[in-house]
Amino acid sequence: MKRLYPVIPLIEQRAAAAHVAHRADPQTSEALGYPGELVDDWHERAVARLGELVSGNRALRVFMDSCTRCGACTDKCHYFLGTHDPNNMPVARQELLRSVWRRYHTWTGRWLPWLVGARTLTRELLDDWYRYFHQCSECRRCAVFCPKGIDTSELSMAGREILATVGLGQRYSQTIVEKAGRIGNNLGLKPAALVDVLENLEEDLLEETGVPVRLPLDEPGREVLLVVPSADFFAEPHVDGLIGTAKLLHAAGVSWTLSSHASEAANVGLFAGSVDHERALAERLVEALRTLGATRLVIGECGHAWRVAASRLPTLVGELPMLSRRRAEHLCELSAELVATGRVTLDASRNAEVVATYHDSCNVARGAMMGNSAEGAFELPRTLLRAAVPRLVEMADGATRRETFCCGGGGGLLSDELMALRVQGAEPRARALQAVVEQEAVTHLVAICAICKTQFSGVLPEHGLRQVRTASLHALVGQAVVLGHGVHGGRA
Amino acid sequence: MTELAARLAGPLFSLLLAWSLGALVWRLLRWARTPQPVPIPLTPAPRSRAGVIARLAGELFVFRSLLRATRITWLSSLALHYGLLGILLVHARLLMPVLPAWMVPVLQVSGWATLACLAGIVVLAARRVLIDRMRYISVPSDHLHLVLLAAIVLSGAALKRWWPTDLHAAGQFLRGALSLQWQPLPAHAGLWLHLTLVGLLILVFPISKLVHGVAIPFTPTWNTRGR
Repeated sequence: MKRLYPVIPLIEQRAAAAHVAHRADPQTSEALGYPGELVDDWHERAVARLGELVSGNRALRVFMDSCTRCGACTDKCHYFLGTHDPNNMPVARQELLRSVWRRYHTWTGRWLPWLVGARTLTRELLDDWYRYFHQCSECRRCAVFCPKGIDTSELSMAGREILATVGLGQRYSQTIVEKAGRIGNNLGLKPAALVDVLENLEEDLLEETGVPVRLPLDEPGREVLLVVPSADFFAEPHVDGLIGTAKLLHAAGVSWTLSSHASEAANVGLFAGSVDHERALAERLVEALRTLGATRLVIGECGHAWRVAASRLPTLVGELPMLSRRRAEHLCELSAELVATGRVTLDASRNAEVVATYHDSCNVARGAMMGNSAEGAFELPRTLLRAAVPRLVEMADGATRRETFCCGGGGGLLSDELMALRVQGAEPRARALQAVVEQEAVTHLVAICAICKTQFSGVLPEHGLRQVRTASLHALVGQAVVLGHGVHGGRA
Repeated sequence: MTELAARLAGPLFSLLLAWSLGALVWRLLRWARTPQPVPIPLTPAPRSRAGVIARLAGELFVFRSLLRATRITWLSSLALHYGLLGILLVHARLLMPVLPAWMVPVLQVSGWATLACLAGIVVLAARRVLIDRMRYISVPSDHLHLVLLAAIVLSGAALKRWWPTDLHAAGQFLRGALSLQWQPLPAHAGLWLHLTLVGLLILVFPISKLVHGVAIPFTPTWNTRGR
């Protein structure tokens, strides 16, 4: 297949310098334990916090030492390919932090800064930290190609945490972390509002299908606690995924519930680089499990949520002995099992007009696993999709599976002021999609991440792909579910 | 004066080796002792210990990720590293007072190893100068490491082929430096040049990016099992 980028773009210095994420409100930062404004001794505090983070994190420690600036990553970041700004080359982004590390924390950098490329932390450089650590979606694509296994997202997270420490928090992530910690979800939906939303969905479902499909909330004694991203409660096309999930679980007779306490799958604590906040959000899942007495924790269509649940949950909150499967499960794992065991039947002809292509979301592809095989995170969603639609088409090699391109809106960048950057960052995905639209008449871009769906709905029209529908995987699965077929009232 | 320098060369060389080894061990311990707060496997990740070892071996010995990234860099890096390995093996001859039979075929790789190493260095250096992205990210020490390596390889090749020195005396010097029973360094400008450059490499090895290979087993994205 033809290469997506036969020619790598030339660099254009500071081409993306105008894209600056909004700063957090002082009250929000203070509520999270950070200063509300840039502190006077920011220089000392930033250098000290950098030292603390490196001393307490082996990944950072190793990554400070092991980069050879070999350049393998330079053309791998979607933001570089989209903006051509050299600071969006992963190694250059890392060097923003590493050059300062060398200057203050290594002998060679202290004595021979010009020789080893060590930089003094100036106000300008601090502003570049803020600028370019918020032009990284922490998607880890560069890490796939790094011969030292360096994960730029770890440096971006560290950079963001240092910035927050000196009073330069980012509005998007901090607002969400604060809201999710206080109310239980990123949108700040209170339990009463959630009840309304779900009742409305049940009414719609009854009208549409004639079957009383339930969307249970806070019902104790259910087997499965399903935690979805809060966007699934009403945003388009997310909500179709929740509806589809409800149909599927109804048809299979799975005993399940949602929780108002843990009404958010996404864990934005991860974006911001604060393990403490990440842990606090993760603990809500455990609390909901305990209160409701559920024995299976199933995570819906959300990339970061699944990375946290699959790879990090036991470290954050300890083992979860109440879980019958010993670990959190992904909705795709549950659905694939229901399909494979015949508890639901999918009829692909109900999606007759759909030609689908699947977008591997970065945190699912590179941050977590599914099922029993190493490639499960790539295969299970595709297996479901093949069962649900008549035709599934693959995008170019290098744009899918472990090498998948980020949607361009992940990692805390899904805010309006960054729209121009998000459009540019989506360029590689749009290119790959454009090719299959032309060659294979693809109609639907399918994703299992709330951020991807919001991002694509917004930016694909900017790339001349207005005709392509962004779809939740479980919307198509739900559409194909044969209702009233399967074992009712049984347990999954 | 020259004679004093020739006598001091041995202890100095021992000192350099001790520094390099000591600093390297200190660095390894620092990596090993730093906690990893949250696991960060880069998936798909192996679920077994054997799988993790295989993954690390693939990265260490065949540079798998680099192959995925860019063919030219991969090929030139392989040439450089395996060329260096060949050269080091040939240098093992200097550690042995008599030539063992098994060493004979090893010595045959000398020319090829030198060529491979130099070719690798030339391509990697050219990339740093010719490609605008590489120019942007390169710092002076990046270029100088390549220049230093090239100078070492070229001076060594010269000693073997065009600027002959007494290799037995050189071997005695090296064995002396390793066993702390120091021998004077033979008076040969080419040998002095070569060893000065090698000394510089040994000096900077543990405090520069040259430690990258040793860091690979400690890399949490790779050495963590997937769940």
